[in-house]
Amino acid sequence: MSLFRTIKKNAKQKVIESSKKDDSLTKDPLTGIFSEDLQKINKTFEKSSDVVIREFSIGSEEKVKAAIIYTDGLADTTSIQTFILDSLMVEAKQMDNTKENLHSRKILQWVKASLLTVGSVAEISDFDSLFTNILSGNTVIFIDGMKVAIGASTGRWEERAISEPASETVVRGPRESFSENIRKNTALIRRKIKDSNLLCEQKEIGRITKTCVAVMYINGIVNEKVVEEVHTRLDRIDIDGILESGNIEELIQDETFTPFPTIYNTERPDVIAAGLLEGRVAILIDGTPFVLIVPSLFIQNFQVPEDYYQRADISTFLRMLRIVCFLISLLGPSFYIAATTYHQEMLPTPLLVSLAAQREGVPFPAFVEALIMEITFEILREAGIRMPRAVGQTVSIVGALVLGQAAVEAGIVSASMVIVVSITAISNFVFPAYNMAISIRMLRFGMMMLAASFGLYGITIGLLALLLHLNSLRSFGIPYMAPFSPFIKDDIKDTIFRFPLKFLGTRPRLISQKNSKRNHTPATSKPEPRE
Amino acid sequence: MKMLSWLLIIILFVPILSGCWNRRELNELAIVAALAIDKTGDNYLVTAQVIDPGQVSTNGGGGGRAPVTTYSEKGKHIFEAVRRMTTITPRKLYFSHLQMLVISEEVAREGMNNTLDFLTRDPEFRKDFYIVVSRELNASQILKNLSPIEKIPAQKMRSSLETSQKAWAPTIAIQMDELISSLTSDGSNPVLTGITIKGEGDDGQTLQNVERIEPFARLKYKNIAVFKKDKLIGWLNEKESKGYNYIKDKVENTVGPIPCEKKGELIIEVIRSKTKVKGKFINGKPTIDIQIRSEANIAEVACQIDLTDPNAIRKIEKKTDKVNINILKTSIARAKKLGVDIYGFGEVIHRTDPKAWKSLKKNWNQEFTHLPITIHSDFKIRRTGTVNQSFLKKE
Repeated sequence: MSLFRTIKKNAKQKVIESSKKDDSLTKDPLTGIFSEDLQKINKTFEKSSDVVIREFSIGSEEKVKAAIIYTDGLADTTSIQTFILDSLMVEAKQMDNTKENLHSRKILQWVKASLLTVGSVAEISDFDSLFTNILSGNTVIFIDGMKVAIGASTGRWEERAISEPASETVVRGPRESFSENIRKNTALIRRKIKDSNLLCEQKEIGRITKTCVAVMYINGIVNEKVVEEVHTRLDRIDIDGILESGNIEELIQDETFTPFPTIYNTERPDVIAAGLLEGRVAILIDGTPFVLIVPSLFIQNFQVPEDYYQRADISTFLRMLRIVCFLISLLGPSFYIAATTYHQEMLPTPLLVSLAAQREGVPFPAFVEALIMEITFEILREAGIRMPRAVGQTVSIVGALVLGQAAVEAGIVSASMVIVVSITAISNFVFPAYNMAISIRMLRFGMMMLAASFGLYGITIGLLALLLHLNSLRSFGIPYMAPFSPFIKDDIKDTIFRFPLKFLGTRPRLISQKNSKRNHTPATSKPEPRE
Repeated sequence: MKMLSWLLIIILFVPILSGCWNRRELNELAIVAALAIDKTGDNYLVTAQVIDPGQVSTNGGGGGRAPVTTYSEKGKHIFEAVRRMTTITPRKLYFSHLQMLVISEEVAREGMNNTLDFLTRDPEFRKDFYIVVSRELNASQILKNLSPIEKIPAQKMRSSLETSQKAWAPTIAIQMDELISSLTSDGSNPVLTGITIKGEGDDGQTLQNVERIEPFARLKYKNIAVFKKDKLIGWLNEKESKGYNYIKDKVENTVGPIPCEKKGELIIEVIRSKTKVKGKFINGKPTIDIQIRSEANIAEVACQIDLTDPNAIRKIEKKTDKVNINILKTSIARAKKLGVDIYGFGEVIHRTDPKAWKSLKKNWNQEFTHLPITIHSDFKIRRTGTVNQSFLKKE
């Protein structure tokens, strides 16, 4: 314990030191002296071969020295050529460029207003933001004598096209998923919600990576306190790098030591759009297709977007099935262990005889047997994800051997155990939320131990403990088990059941308190009877 | 953090702790399917029929061994004998899945209270096994009979008893809890079905018995044993047994012959039957009124009759009532002769007038022998089967 603490302390100290160093480097204003500034930039990027610095001059009579700097690969060279270099070097000559025009600040305005034909331009006054601009694909234009540089957005790099979501597939529903580009991602959401109240606040997180993070919500529906809380938690982050939304998730979640995810992530724009409409807050992170949404409730892990695209009865059936699968996947092996080692009187006689016959000759106790099979399956599953695609077939063939008839014939496990482990494994895949599924996988082992030591009594104790824990969790201030505890009658309609849309008139009460009526469709859509 | 480390420690202990409780693996159990109790001299002889799971299950391969085996041991008391059995059994006997308890007639005649106490007290016994009395044979012999179709003989005994009660009526499936409740009640006495072996008793032991189309020996339920409290005092024959089941409202389905107007008989199949027993006090004397409502189909016609004629049907109904009342009367007469109220009439009287019952209950069996009983039968013929007229009519 003490060792652990010292390590933690050391780590903290190191963080503080390094942050000091970084601060001293930055916040350096531009001097306005062309050669000096350029030299400094040159020195910084001396060993970065992909940064291009191109010097030239503007004007025909009076020449002003200028330079553009961009990162090759991040900036679009064609647009630099046509919209920046062409305008500055060729068109500028034909235009009126008297001495007054080229003087002092005016030239800057002139260039900005009439020469640069790119979409968005910004003024840069310090080296820090200059470097960021260059490294995020913008082109920086330097003009002699100016204390301000111009950043023109020319960023464009090769990226993945919008594809089908890999981890959340549906039969009916949109087939697009987020990609790695945050702009594309915000656009995907905007395309679904065309309302000026959909706000998108952007910030930069990560001292070194300077990752762009966007917070999106619908003003007028969202609970401002949650937005505020999201901002404070995001602002509190002081870390060198954010590479995936998982980093952010871990840094802003309510509870670290819990197997349950209190922040939901998805790569489907329709899920985010639905969440925003319910009054949730989405957090988009550049560089990952996984978008976070808060507050997130336990029951959310049982809901898939398709639930709302299919008829209500089908959805209700499927949701109940998912809950059954949750129980099987959590308790399957432990229930088997408990029933066969403690509560044999519970089993019907023919079943008992059949199970007993299978166990004849199995050398291990049921718990060890289950443990062997479960661990084997976890190994297989992990291998299936990590291994190179080319050897994929090997794992499935070997997997069928160790988890199948061969294991039974070898006399290591009983056939019924193979079935229990298999159904447990399949039930686990039913979960729409992958991180929730992993948590259940882990909890299963704890349950198995409890079942092996105390039988059904142990399982009951384990379930009670889980229930207590779940009830203590909160996600951005909202009780995790809502709407079951606290019980909210109106919101129950969209949990285990999915009532027809005409009964789902209100937004979840705990998530958005205001503007709660969302469905004004008249109750009946039948035509009036003809006269 | 501190709590978490405590939790980790506790979780680490869990696998070490396992096994300190009553944990048993399935392959450490000897599942007892049936138990038989005999008497040899002063000692009880307890026989257990233990399932050999490998031989029973479908994928077991069937290595030519019998699906069950029996272990017998003597002891002054049941529990003593059961525990002494561990000297010959490979595993500890496990009684939760007990299907049948066979008590020999000898033990039953002496009184079963001593034997039943252990079976009700021990927590491992569930109370849902059936109890039968072996007739003319030792109870242990009943357990040593292999049966075709149902591999476990106890399972055969159980399902055969259940189906025969449902579809034939003159047997009765009594479970432990029912037996105990009728033993402890003042106003009723227990009955149990008898079981015997048809054929050569000892030939049923070997696998050859089930390899034949017609086995050498078969188990067969026969008649109902009447008890006076815990002591067997006599047997009811088939007709009396059926009457018993009618009064106890346990008939679901049965078959009975009805004489025709001319010669020959007609067989009806009772498909529904409901009996109400009511108590009444007339001039301070208890009386019982039995009301039977039954529905039946005509199952077989072995005489000349016009079934399309509603009057003929009505006549059959009347006759059936008569036959039925006769069945009940014979049964009651037999019980009166034996001097025990097996029908629970005492309980009915108790419910009718609890105060009067207090004085009656001391001498109830005496009272029962001259208890006036009226029987009303209301029979309805519902269907005549897939043919209206029997081809016999054209003779």
